[in-house]
Amino acid sequence: MSERRIIPLRPQRPTPPATPQLSAPPPLSLYIHFPWCVRKCPYCDFNSHAVHQDGIPESAYVDALIADLEAALPDVWGRRVLSIFIGGGTPSLISAEGLDRLLTAVRMLLPLDPMAEITLEANPGTVEAARFAGYRAAGVNRLSLGIQSFEDRYLRALGRIHAGAEAHKAAELALTHFESVNFDLMYALPGQSLDHLAADLRTAIALAPQHLSCYHLTLEPNTPFHHSPPAKLPDGDLAADMQQLVETMLAEAGYQHYETSAFAQPGKRCRHNLNYWTFGDYLGIGAGAHSKLSSHTGVVRQMRHKHPGAYLAAHGHGDFVQTEQGIGVADLPFEFMMNGLRLIDGIPTDLMEARTGIALDVIEAKLIAARERGLLEVSGDTLRPTLKGQRFLNDLLEMFLD
Amino acid sequence: MPQGTFFVVNMRHIRNFSIIAHIDHGKSTLADRLIHRCGGLADREMDAQVLDSMDLERERGITIKAQTASLLYTAKDGQVYQFNLIDTPGHVDFSYEVSRSLQACEGALLVVDASQGVEAQTVANCYTAIEQNLEVIPVLNKVDLPAADPERVRAEIEDVIGVDASEATLCSAKTGLGIDDILETVVRRVPPPVGDPAAPLKALIIDSWFDSYVGVVILVRVIDGCIKAKDRMRLMANGAEYPVDQVGVFTPKSLVRETLSAGEVGFVISGIKVISDAKVGDTVTLATRPADKPLPGFKEIKSQVFAGLYPVESNEYEQLRESLEKLQLNDAALRFEPEVSQALGFGFRCGFLGLLHMDIVQERLEREFDIDLITTAPTVVYEVLMKDGSVMKVENPAKLPDPSKMDEIREPIIRATIYLPQEYVGVVITLCTQKRGSQVDMRYHGRQVQLVYDIPMNEVVMDFFDRLKSVSRGYASLDYELHCYQAADLVKLDMLVNGEKVDALSVIVHRANAHYRGRELAAKLRGIIPRQMFDVAVQAAIGSTIVSRENIKALRKNVLAKCYGGDISRKRKLLEKQKAGKRRMKQVGAVEIPQEAFLAVLRTDDSK
Repeated sequence: MSERRIIPLRPQRPTPPATPQLSAPPPLSLYIHFPWCVRKCPYCDFNSHAVHQDGIPESAYVDALIADLEAALPDVWGRRVLSIFIGGGTPSLISAEGLDRLLTAVRMLLPLDPMAEITLEANPGTVEAARFAGYRAAGVNRLSLGIQSFEDRYLRALGRIHAGAEAHKAAELALTHFESVNFDLMYALPGQSLDHLAADLRTAIALAPQHLSCYHLTLEPNTPFHHSPPAKLPDGDLAADMQQLVETMLAEAGYQHYETSAFAQPGKRCRHNLNYWTFGDYLGIGAGAHSKLSSHTGVVRQMRHKHPGAYLAAHGHGDFVQTEQGIGVADLPFEFMMNGLRLIDGIPTDLMEARTGIALDVIEAKLIAARERGLLEVSGDTLRPTLKGQRFLNDLLEMFLD
Repeated sequence: MPQGTFFVVNMRHIRNFSIIAHIDHGKSTLADRLIHRCGGLADREMDAQVLDSMDLERERGITIKAQTASLLYTAKDGQVYQFNLIDTPGHVDFSYEVSRSLQACEGALLVVDASQGVEAQTVANCYTAIEQNLEVIPVLNKVDLPAADPERVRAEIEDVIGVDASEATLCSAKTGLGIDDILETVVRRVPPPVGDPAAPLKALIIDSWFDSYVGVVILVRVIDGCIKAKDRMRLMANGAEYPVDQVGVFTPKSLVRETLSAGEVGFVISGIKVISDAKVGDTVTLATRPADKPLPGFKEIKSQVFAGLYPVESNEYEQLRESLEKLQLNDAALRFEPEVSQALGFGFRCGFLGLLHMDIVQERLEREFDIDLITTAPTVVYEVLMKDGSVMKVENPAKLPDPSKMDEIREPIIRATIYLPQEYVGVVITLCTQKRGSQVDMRYHGRQVQLVYDIPMNEVVMDFFDRLKSVSRGYASLDYELHCYQAADLVKLDMLVNGEKVDALSVIVHRANAHYRGRELAAKLRGIIPRQMFDVAVQAAIGSTIVSRENIKALRKNVLAKCYGGDISRKRKLLEKQKAGKRRMKQVGAVEIPQEAFLAVLRTDDSK
């Protein structure tokens, strides 16, 4: 008996080159991860660890970060760094001196753009005026505050260590020390009504930060909330009304909605995050930090040793990278769209080829299908999600998955 | 195949027998014990439960294809006996195959679990054995279990089946207890075959299967005459002739022999290309000296249950066809022909012996051939008497002719025999009545009750098995056979999703239940079809009359709140998972309908 073919031949598609060539390296950002928190919040799926009773090994960690960066220099040789983001965890647990030592080392090792945006994440529960002044002096020019809500009961429900009054105080303090401040806010909180969300938004708007990130509370896998969801979570319809309310109130207050969850005053969009969304490169150092780096051999992702202990130990043997893998040619268009289509204004049609080396016609059929479903708009030299595409971004993105 | 010289014994020393047992009563374990005891396989070859060779069978504990083993046993009288253990399929869907396997035997071991007692399937098969004049030897298995009650079960066998069980052998296939007793009893009580080796060849086809190296292998019991390589054989059902390449026996390893003669069981390999030419129950004879008439009892297998199988991905249609062809190589009962559904696209209407057979085919397609399937609700074959006097068979509810052209619709009725402990009689009778059943007989055998009902098969393919198991807490067992066709007041109930008729969701129901079923189905679909980007209306209709409507409100958003460069792989996985979920859905118009919806029409909720 002859062996029969099981898999039918698929119609021929243009074959992308095995290793796509970029005409120029993408813009480069630096991400620095600080993996400790006073306490881990039940909704958080980031790489964060509660502070050990011996305190944070700050000095050893800064040493490790500097060594990590030195070891990574060949990967980004000669490229200018356009932004730095120090995230966590709770980076505001670090001393101003420690941060100064770190940023000084970064400046010595890498060509940093003089206009570079340097953001630090801060927790309202760990705020002091002197420390903010120290951060500013060390070079931080943008502060991102994890406010989440100004209401005590929601903060308790979220397991946050701060109360509403502290959030308010931290916000005011941040705005006096930094020219650019972001508030992280959450909605669809357990028991939250539209009125309560409106009150939170009014408080935030009255403080007038340059930037607001408003996230729908998401039950991420491997979090306590995912395991046992809190009671009285707003249903899908109420959450959608909340999203609507956020967009309306912030638009009226002069904030531009430029990404799924990000709103900014004119000229105050977060350059660091924009680089992620436009599929730029980033070097991530610190425990569990992720990098995406392009070179003539392709695009790779790296992750540093995830556990702080393992990361500190890596300082001894000098190999900070836990995993590294290339992004296959087949995956690049999807990953590009997954980031780019989050932007409300969309992306230039020539950006995909510039960032991935793959011509847009490779996914033409998918673009046409997305347009036919009313999820995508292609006008002139821009691809952008329609309003429906923004609301159903997952459905739009799925279309780019094979 | 290895050449061998399996000891040829005198006909007086041949014992052909089967094991009749209910699922889980230990048939396979016992068969393994017997094979092992007779040295058929060494320990390391005793891959647990030899006779059940397909993985699926092993998992479900059922035998689909009958297999066989020829064993040599040196009895206490010092003589060497040839035992031919003929395996039988163990499920209600395969009762015809069982009857052919039994026809090849002179005796049968009736194996009953010493704690659970007699089950319907066992009774049905045992009656078949008795009708064919087999010597039935009761064996009480699992006597090592604490719950074993051999005396009660012995009485039950006598009461229900009417077989003398006073000398029933006690055994434990698990521990090996009583195995020698069984073998000696076989020698003593199973009569040797009678047949004339010099007469024209008459061999019964017990089973056939496709082997990728040698083609179709048929398993035969030689009744009269003998067959050897280079003979020219003839199949009496269709007169087709083939040269014989090889004959032999299974020990259970295959062993080539020069001849198979009267009384023996073994395989024949010839030039048969497709399994449907080697029909179970057919008679093999020789072209040079044919028998004057075939053995009695041959039947063409007819599919009783039909369902549409559709690939989820329309480009897997060709792959589905090739996979069905491959399955058909080894499954003569599987029928399929291309079918087009407006809702589901290109697929196949497949005919099965019953629901279990359908389940097995579906699972093998998904597991062995890796095809995602949408299966429509199984349906029975209706006879439609047209106004012009012609009779039409309808295997697909969507194809029911326009009511104005029909005179009457006749539905198949099965005669169901149900065995159950008496405490469940009330609930089971209620269930049968709900399913439009009419009582034929009810008998008490000690604590066991035998109910006989005529029930429309349509109701049985819905969810009768599941309901019967659940109302009787698993104690009821069922056997059935097609009884007759009967006119009934039936209508076609259509389901519409956003105004589009989804032909694959159409069902034929009794008029009295139609409105209720319509409401129930619409409500059920509302629960199953996920919210989409727009409102979806679900309606049930009889002809052009809408009998029920449900509304699925639009989903308002589906977007990940957060996505930073960081760990993009997890977000990616989330989207991949969402997409994989949709892979099992079928796009009908603009609406994505999950697979469960097509089976939802099966489940009723009469208990409310």
